[in-house]
Amino acid sequence: MAGRAEAAVHRHDMVVIGAGLSGLRAAIELSDAGLDTTVISKVLPLRSHSVAAQGGINASLGNVAGEDGAMDSWEAHAYDTVKGSDYLADQDAVEVMCREAPRTVIELEHMGTVFSRLENGYIAQRPFGGAMFPRTCYAADRTGHNILNTLYEQALDREIRFYEEYYTTALVRDGGRCTGCTAIELLTGRVHGFAAKAVLLATGGFGRLYSRSTNALINTGDGVALALCAGVPLKDMEFIQFHPTTLFGTNILITEGARGEGGRLYNSNNERFMERYAPHSLDLAPRDVVARAIEEEIAAGRGFEGGYVYLDLTHLGADHIRARLPGIRQIAMDFAGIDPITDPIPVQPGQHYSMGGIDVNNRGETRLPGLYAAGECACSSVHGANRLGGNSLLETVAFGKLVARAIVQNTQGLPAPATDAVRSRAASEQERIDVLLGRKTGENLFAIMDDLKDTMFEYFGIFRDERHMKEGISRLERLQERFERVHVKNKSRVFNQALIRLLELEDMLLLAAVLAQSALRRRESRGSHTRTDFPARDDEHFLAHTLAHLRDSAIDLEYEPVRLGMFEPTEREY
Amino acid sequence: MRLKLFRYNPEDREQRYDIFEIESRPGMSVLAALFDVQKKHDDSLAFRYSCRGAVCGTCAMLINKVPRLACRTQVAKLLDGSLEMDLAPYPALEVDIDWNPEEEVLVEPLPHLPLIRDLVVDMEPFFAFYRAVRPVFKPEGEAPARERLMDRDAVSALEAYTNCILCGACFGACPVDAKNPDYYGPAALAKLYRFHIDPREAGDGSRLELANTPEGWWACEFHTNCMRVCPKRVPPNIAIGKARRELSEQGREPER
Repeated sequence: MAGRAEAAVHRHDMVVIGAGLSGLRAAIELSDAGLDTTVISKVLPLRSHSVAAQGGINASLGNVAGEDGAMDSWEAHAYDTVKGSDYLADQDAVEVMCREAPRTVIELEHMGTVFSRLENGYIAQRPFGGAMFPRTCYAADRTGHNILNTLYEQALDREIRFYEEYYTTALVRDGGRCTGCTAIELLTGRVHGFAAKAVLLATGGFGRLYSRSTNALINTGDGVALALCAGVPLKDMEFIQFHPTTLFGTNILITEGARGEGGRLYNSNNERFMERYAPHSLDLAPRDVVARAIEEEIAAGRGFEGGYVYLDLTHLGADHIRARLPGIRQIAMDFAGIDPITDPIPVQPGQHYSMGGIDVNNRGETRLPGLYAAGECACSSVHGANRLGGNSLLETVAFGKLVARAIVQNTQGLPAPATDAVRSRAASEQERIDVLLGRKTGENLFAIMDDLKDTMFEYFGIFRDERHMKEGISRLERLQERFERVHVKNKSRVFNQALIRLLELEDMLLLAAVLAQSALRRRESRGSHTRTDFPARDDEHFLAHTLAHLRDSAIDLEYEPVRLGMFEPTEREY
Repeated sequence: MRLKLFRYNPEDREQRYDIFEIESRPGMSVLAALFDVQKKHDDSLAFRYSCRGAVCGTCAMLINKVPRLACRTQVAKLLDGSLEMDLAPYPALEVDIDWNPEEEVLVEPLPHLPLIRDLVVDMEPFFAFYRAVRPVFKPEGEAPARERLMDRDAVSALEAYTNCILCGACFGACPVDAKNPDYYGPAALAKLYRFHIDPREAGDGSRLELANTPEGWWACEFHTNCMRVCPKRVPPNIAIGKARRELSEQGREPER
């Protein structure tokens, strides 16, 4: 476009993309190390999806004794995590996280988080699925909200610069390093360049690939796609966690803490069906186990009309519900019109978490120097094939800090990068967006997005098999063809959300293709990945991470062995 | 049902109302209706969204002349009148609009904040007041090796205020904010009070001083719109009343 002003290029030591728990915790650490740090976020920081985390954060504080007075330990936490992962987690990464956990929670408390307390004043801990001890620290059922507010307060206190409502469109590679990124400012439609010694992706998961999801509408996997396009492989993308209890109708999360507090699942015959699926752990078996059980009950005709079962809290009593699960009660009343004090909650499984993500090591380093990732967008891997409840908040905050420390070490003495590559990429990104906006007619963006979500839930949902997945893949290919002709009617530069949705959709289609290929190739059942045509776990061939590369626009899969060490794989029983 | 939407185009500064016919579904929220408009009728419609579960505070707007979260507000309940709310009056409620509440849902941007586009407003003035009360934990003494102990009752008292999701509904509902652009507003004052009563802080009352001005605690007129519209039932008016009483009892009222 003639006469356009040259793109603005901002220079900072460090750029963090994403302002959820990982991004903020990292930014605080980087700032404390004296580095000029900025955070780019497509929403106002407090609107990040971390805010929605309900149940809690795991740490072996040992504030509540286990059965027979036994005391919790980081080793017990690690064992539960590895077993929960169906042995796909890298055990040295799990060790790092579980050792760090108590310090992580205490640090948050010292920063001001108001955790729920025991009678003796210590931080309260409750039982969660797949855990041998009451290990989950919580702030009622608003744990993410409380921690996110604390970290945002701390970040503001350090005068960290935020670029809010900037959508990152590309990472910049220069001389074999990541030297920055480009982002479109929603308010003006202008693409800005950001030059930095290091870029940390903390952009969260990609749950909105699925129609039924607990995730915020903004969870479209932007950062994961950015990394892939910058030449970094993605790991274990086929492992998608389906949370067993999401509210029928809207799929808003009903925390596992509801079962931790004693909530029970019932089918339409009024049976506690978990007795048949997990005779010891019952309703508190890990999420993959409970989600499959509910789906099987519904498939066998023992669900309720529309496809749900009941989560009953009524026996807990009004006082207990009001004190421990006030948010759940409010959600049930606001979104389903029922009060859990008197009526059971209608629930069904829904997509909840992305175990896979950007391939990183235990220091959050990707294979591209200068590019790091932490939190749900990353895969280190601490969750393997199935994440335990309470471990995601832990991962975000613990690795947010640890990765920041690695960045500080790695960038010591590094000169500020040249800005030429950033500047020219910003210009070419602006051109690309101008071309997209210039299309006069074409396919409807929202129709493609809805079709994508339905396809993913139907063909790459809880139960998978080769025939359906191949059909799903050809559907995805047709959606990709339609996307090549996509257009938006809105041509405005100011707050053009349709344009942002279009850019999100591009990323979502790419991630869906990677997920689909990864799922098809893993011919076994492990954790959340359930193949009805390969129902058994196959350690001989698949005790390995899937690595997906984008090479010449094609997805290329390879496998890497899991790092064991502490615990030998055995069959999971709950 | 019909959605009557406030539109604002920053490029030509035109303001108008558009009406869209929407097929309503059981349990449909106003947010879902807005998405329907964006998908099927007009992809230029601008509104903020994120969690769609009433926890992130993004989608506060003026719905049927009451500041509410669009995600949490059910269309059917608006039409049957069960969400009607009496608020103390302020100018944004008095704009004369032809609108039939039995058939139409009226959606306008959150008042008292600059317009950006359609239902999107600039939240910066709201967050500037939030930052002005310096909302960061300043504990007394050195950090212990373990957590600081807290009494359960103290946690309950704090939760009444930590539950705030900074959506700005109270700010948009406050008659004082409507006439006094320098007033801190309910959310910022409630946030300040949350730190004031945190038993882990020194509790020397210095926090209260941050808003001990005519534009701070003392500007509130106790219309209590803030508490009524709060989607999380936070009571800023109670915090403000207690802060004022404390300051008065200590003879710390500012001269006016």
